Amino acid sequence: MSSSSALVLCMDVGFSMSNSEPGQEPPFEQAKKVIQKFVQRQVFAENKDEVGLVLFGTDGTKNRLAKDGQYENITVHRHLMMPDFELLEEIESELQPGGQQADWLDALVVCMDLLQQETMGKKFERLNIVLLTDLNVQTSADQLDVIINSLKKAGITLQFFLPFPLDGEDRADGGGDGPGPSAASARPGKGLSSQQTQGLEMVKNIMTSLEEEDGLEEVHTFRDALEKLSIFKRIDRRPMAWPCQLTIGSSLTIRIVGYKAVTEEKVKKSWTIVDAQSHQRDDVKRETVYCLNDDDETEVQKDDTIQGFRYGSDIVPFSKVDEDQMKYKSDGKCFSVLGFTKQELIRRHQFMGSQVVKVFAARDDEHAAVALSALIRALDSLKMAAIVRYAYDRRSNPQVGAAFPCIKEKYECLLYVQLPFMEDLRQFTFPMLENNKKFTPSESQLSAADALIDSMMLVEKDEDGESVDVFKVNHIPNPQFQRLFQCLHHRGVNPDDPLPPVEPWLKRALERPQAVSARCQAPLQDVKTKFPLKVVVKKKEQKTSADVFGSSADEPDAKRVKVDEEMEFNLAEIAAGNITSVGSVNPVRDFCALVRQKTVSFDQACQQLTHRIEQLLGNRSPEYYMKSIACIQAFRDQSVSSGNAELFNSYMQSLKRSVPDRNLQEFWDLLIQDALTLISKDEVDGSTISKQDANQFLAFEQKEEVQAAPVQEDTGDVDDLLDMM
Amino acid sequence: MAEWRQYYQNEDDEVEEDEEDSGGDYKISGRDSLVFLVDASKEMFIKSEDGETSNFDMTMQCVRSVYTSKIISSDKDLVALVFYGTEQSKNPRNSFKHVYVYHDLDSPGSQRVLDIDKLLGEKGAQFAEKTIGSGETSLGEALWCCSNLYSDIKLRLSHKRLMIFTCRDDPHGGDGAKDRQARTKAADLKETGVVIDLMHLTKPGGFDVSLFFCDIVSPPEDESELGLQIEPCRKLEDLQKRVRAKELKKRSQSRLTFSLGEGVNLAVGVYVLARTATKPSAVKLHRDTNEPVRTKTRYFHAHNGGILLPNDMKRAQVYGKKQIVMEKDEVDEIKKFDDPGLVLMGFKPMDRLKLHHHIRPALFIYPEEEQISGSSCVFTALLLKCSEKNVFALCRYIPRRNTPPRFVALVPQREELDQSQTQATPPGFNVIFLPFADDIRTLDAHVGPTASDEQVDKMKEIVHKLRFKYKSDSFENPVLQQHYRNLEALALNMLEPEPIEDLTMPKVQMMDARLGPLAQEFKDLVYPPDYNPEGKPAAKPESGGGAAEKKPKAEISEEELKNHVANSTLGKLTVPVLKDACKQFGIRTTGTKKQELIDALTMQLSK
Repeated sequence: MSSSSALVLCMDVGFSMSNSEPGQEPPFEQAKKVIQKFVQRQVFAENKDEVGLVLFGTDGTKNRLAKDGQYENITVHRHLMMPDFELLEEIESELQPGGQQADWLDALVVCMDLLQQETMGKKFERLNIVLLTDLNVQTSADQLDVIINSLKKAGITLQFFLPFPLDGEDRADGGGDGPGPSAASARPGKGLSSQQTQGLEMVKNIMTSLEEEDGLEEVHTFRDALEKLSIFKRIDRRPMAWPCQLTIGSSLTIRIVGYKAVTEEKVKKSWTIVDAQSHQRDDVKRETVYCLNDDDETEVQKDDTIQGFRYGSDIVPFSKVDEDQMKYKSDGKCFSVLGFTKQELIRRHQFMGSQVVKVFAARDDEHAAVALSALIRALDSLKMAAIVRYAYDRRSNPQVGAAFPCIKEKYECLLYVQLPFMEDLRQFTFPMLENNKKFTPSESQLSAADALIDSMMLVEKDEDGESVDVFKVNHIPNPQFQRLFQCLHHRGVNPDDPLPPVEPWLKRALERPQAVSARCQAPLQDVKTKFPLKVVVKKKEQKTSADVFGSSADEPDAKRVKVDEEMEFNLAEIAAGNITSVGSVNPVRDFCALVRQKTVSFDQACQQLTHRIEQLLGNRSPEYYMKSIACIQAFRDQSVSSGNAELFNSYMQSLKRSVPDRNLQEFWDLLIQDALTLISKDEVDGSTISKQDANQFLAFEQKEEVQAAPVQEDTGDVDDLLDMM
Repeated sequence: MAEWRQYYQNEDDEVEEDEEDSGGDYKISGRDSLVFLVDASKEMFIKSEDGETSNFDMTMQCVRSVYTSKIISSDKDLVALVFYGTEQSKNPRNSFKHVYVYHDLDSPGSQRVLDIDKLLGEKGAQFAEKTIGSGETSLGEALWCCSNLYSDIKLRLSHKRLMIFTCRDDPHGGDGAKDRQARTKAADLKETGVVIDLMHLTKPGGFDVSLFFCDIVSPPEDESELGLQIEPCRKLEDLQKRVRAKELKKRSQSRLTFSLGEGVNLAVGVYVLARTATKPSAVKLHRDTNEPVRTKTRYFHAHNGGILLPNDMKRAQVYGKKQIVMEKDEVDEIKKFDDPGLVLMGFKPMDRLKLHHHIRPALFIYPEEEQISGSSCVFTALLLKCSEKNVFALCRYIPRRNTPPRFVALVPQREELDQSQTQATPPGFNVIFLPFADDIRTLDAHVGPTASDEQVDKMKEIVHKLRFKYKSDSFENPVLQQHYRNLEALALNMLEPEPIEDLTMPKVQMMDARLGPLAQEFKDLVYPPDYNPEGKPAAKPESGGGAAEKKPKAEISEEELKNHVANSTLGKLTVPVLKDACKQFGIRTTGTKKQELIDALTMQLSK
């Protein structure tokens, strides 16, 4: 039941691969990077595919077929297995240029042999060979037909990666879903040796006999490979099929199969928490406790809790059992047409959900194919779409969505996208922009905007008058993955090094194309002069925490006074000596008492206080912030008067570090408003903090409002099933 | 073309007018509050010429729908209902005559909805007459009473709104003193930040705002609004739309810099106009008291039991036998590419925006003049030009700190008004998220025969018969509706929840009736007589799949497992096999995620 692929990387390390024009990276290095990137991704994305590595042009020979001077200088460096960290390390340290040349066709035969020998008895969905070479060697073409035939027979697919593009000129993009080769990097055609020219012909020959004209799309340049994940597309796991029936009314049924075609790919592996010293996961225990909302935080056993839901101001107890029994029940998977509507009534910006499903007729069912084709073509010519009820299965929530017709050169399908429910929409009204005297742009301003747009078009006409998209987002690999894998790789190899900077090619891929940047210089300057733009300097209202939470915590001033009174009142208690630790009810009072009493050391008192502060902050609720602020104020005051700045300052510094982590930004803002900063030299001699540092300490990078990612209901989707496999 | 409801609803089906908005997920900086100040004079109870509803009834239906929507979407908001021009008086200190506070400012609950129900319809009118009655009018007193409601609230209010519902444009009948008092009190309210809106209803002879109310209501947000709502509401639908547009305070998700390059920056607010509304999460309650409980999570050291502070912990991932450790800061740093904001890459013709390039619901941006002045002007110029040239702007988008970038298409959207001059689509750019190469999956397309013209034409007839006018707010989410009906039933001690109408279900009977013989004719054209599309496909044994899978669980020997550990190929085993293996070795696993099982096994077997 394996759905993985087996793939052999076959790299030319012969001496010609090390040749390069001055200032250019030799093909060897480029090819090595391609392999590195590929293996890196396989390792960190934990793909189940098995990978072998064959080098040719090596000084030595190590392969099963070598005999009587045949298949020399070809080394099977690694047999088929799942790539691991070791392989990454080996590539980094052991993959060196060789001093020989070997026939790439021979190497191909060795790879085929390897694949056939080592996949015997195992089941693989796809077999693929990736050849990286400069073709700069004499090849004997007499075996070509035999080779092509056995490739076909074994169902092995082939990809070529060359330092130069296949054709003399750039080829327009196929325009399909997958990334194809586009703008060439190296200079084509020129300076190729006769072997290379001959080699190119053979490559074309092989690829077209394997897959007709599509085959040529699997010939890439090294540079393309780096930036476009070309290798992966070949061995990509295909999405899970979702067989269902499209129904129109009660009697018209068409057998269909859906596939998730576009969906946001997320990082799969999460970080675990380990102890900072031992790096052991088991040393860290996580505990979740339930407690009442009272001052003592009375703990409640989990078994003593039940679940409820808010219904306006009421909380309605509603047990899980009842909920399950009473909840909406859907009657299983469906793809039922509710009606048909004009495509223009479905707004692109109202697409919901996180995926697009492509719907085909059931495989090998030609009647279904004809029926679905009739629907697709009818919709297409009427510019209409079907509105359908879609339910993935019995456990999942039903959706209403649109099925659009999609007719491509090679196939037809429906594209299904979820549409909003009434509850999902927000009707906001915005002030009008046009015809608003204050904002109406003048004629000259409009023409500046016009010129800017013209200069920044990302679609250009090439020599043949074909428009070429110079910035295809769907060809850019998600930089998040690239960056994560790069850092994991780096840290794995060099555990003590700081993280490396973002790789230059990745940075470049995220920037505006250079040609466009150059073109828009002047129009942009024009916009700059014609539109006055000014950052509004806000008078930052001096708000104190009391102002912010004042209204919710009764009269602020009264409360302040009360605290003070209590502190005074406390002095009497101190005399009685009945305060022995910092309690949670009135930590400030207790702390001040302890410090005065000197029954415990100042250090200990502070420790107890910070423990309480941490507890209060753990609630992350505004009511407790006031109390925490009061604690910190008292901590600071007492520290200044005892001339001990160190404890306070180090606590504040650690608190600051934890702010982003614990989401305490709001609390920190209150500290800023109250100017509760570090104790400086000016206040306590022993402090190592200058007045200026203290003033700057509170400043944080401005953080934007964070909106929690919407919690997705578990709809039991294809991916879950895949993860189970 | 018929509309969805009309098309499928039976004539006698009552059109359900539940109104919902999902809006309560923003960071709360205070409570929103809304006071309905409703005229209870005799005129309000007069039925309209065409029959059914009186202005009073219409207002109550509207109030009810706001109540129920608040319960669902923003249950923290405060709402009050006050009548003026009443016979009876009821207010906190009973200091105001002819003012009846039906509901104090509080968050709406189930009881309040029931209270409103009492005021609906014919019976409601009678009930109203009995309890509140119609009497003298003093709007000044009523406004004064409302201002007391606000000042009695101890919570921080972020947005204060008061809506006056009336059909009388001269409530005091020319009594200058009362007019003056009302103006003064209105001014006082506005001073304290209350926005006063007028929801004026139809009156024979027309409602003249300039007679009196123009001095009472707050000035409009911008000039544009002034012209829009001069017409009084005739229909419930209009009234609800108008109330809804005002009732929900719009908040931006974030404010960002939109950089065109070379230091040309404008400020925009990012808004969420559509997002999947989900069931709210459950609250944990104490079994004995039904009092909510909080959860606290903390980390402590397994051996010495000490509480671990964030600095005492690091993050790690394990690949095979290799553990890679990073600081929390580093994990964040990896995700940082640039500061938050929108950066313009360039423009593309609209046809380059593919229908199937969809990964997330869209956002909406609108200029923020308060951050960078002049933003609106540049924004408007770009909006006009993009729309004129039929292009979209391609931008790099980083929503907040330490978040990796995404590319988005800014699609221009010009303002559109509906027949009643209410804004149907706001002016601004829709933000469409574009997929990266990783997000696009490789498919092996099914290739099959295509349909003939005759077959396509028959299908066209079918499509024609079943067409309707799609509107995005036609469908309610049956799962949510059912959930709230259940809660309502429990909260109000009803025997069973009110049944919901599942609008997502195809109206099969009606469709069949509309199609008539067409379905059969189409089937005759495409399917051979013996073909049954509903049956299972002719047994084509899936290679290696099927029955073989359901074999008794494949036990796996220790040796095999060790091999897998050594080659780090545990990942190839299925979750059930891994679970069994864990059981076999008596490994207690905390999680059921595949990786957790693998980690546990690896740890056990590499000892």
